[in-house]
Amino acid sequence: MSGEEEENAADLKIGEEFLKAKCLMNCEVALILEHKYEQLQQMSEDPMNQVSQVFEKSLQYVKRFSRYKNPDAVKQVREVLKEYQLAEFELCVLGNLCPETVEEAIAMVPSIKYKGRGLDDEKIEKMLSDLSLIKRFE
Amino acid sequence: MFLKTQLSWNVIIPAENLDAKGLMLQRSIIVRLMDQFARKKATKDLGYFLAIKDLESIGEGRVRELTGEVLFPVVFTAISFKLFRGEILEGVVHKVLKHGVFLRSGPVENIYLSNLKMSDYTYSPGENPEFLSEKASKIGKDVKLRFMVIGTKWMEAEREIQALVSLEGDYLGPVS
Repeated sequence: MSGEEEENAADLKIGEEFLKAKCLMNCEVALILEHKYEQLQQMSEDPMNQVSQVFEKSLQYVKRFSRYKNPDAVKQVREVLKEYQLAEFELCVLGNLCPETVEEAIAMVPSIKYKGRGLDDEKIEKMLSDLSLIKRFE
Repeated sequence: MFLKTQLSWNVIIPAENLDAKGLMLQRSIIVRLMDQFARKKATKDLGYFLAIKDLESIGEGRVRELTGEVLFPVVFTAISFKLFRGEILEGVVHKVLKHGVFLRSGPVENIYLSNLKMSDYTYSPGENPEFLSEKASKIGKDVKLRFMVIGTKWMEAEREIQALVSLEGDYLGPVS
């Protein structure tokens, strides 16, 4: 079905432009869209009428699927994950799905186990415990 | 996956909307841009357009000779949502059919999970039809699922993206 047969996010084959493009986690998008929505609220009495369906559906989705709500926690998640030399795409998948075990993390983002990444099980374990720590203290 | 991209678009302001006062002009450029952005809805490369995050710059206007309209090059960052093949993602079931279910994820509603791609589950008809597994796991309306994208298709006429997804793989299925 896909136009480019090569594309496969599991192997991190998603096209040059998207490897470099900034990806956003659900919780980051929630903060951005909520801020936009507040801006519209100040300008109009019926802000839901001002936004597109795409905006509305996305806002509902990210509200429901954000693992972190507090803006400081959201910032910390990105900072913590950045220490592990992840691609933008990998960082966001991990931040969105918050896997609990090393095995689950590798199933979600198989490319983190590739050779030369320097991410052994111990490091992945550390990364996941850092993430759950942020969640606990949110 | 949600993406943040810098885009350069041209915004055309009709001659009658031009105003000598700079602030009004800037306002009509932004209003036009937002309108253009919402109407575009989606593209094949970037997926669905959610929102304009920041306006980076508005360049020098160029007058179009025949019409008197002025064209402004505008640079801005946009938030969009695109599905990638191989990506693992979460969504909500919104329709249950005999041969599979439709999911919603982000702004995308045409995400199809065929019964062939959740072979542990069997269809159970009734007033609230659902798919059941032997391990007492349920896939019905409003259930949250974690799935893998196995194919995407851009529908040019509707400006929509359709996707096929699968539950075949470790740690995929209903999530609480």
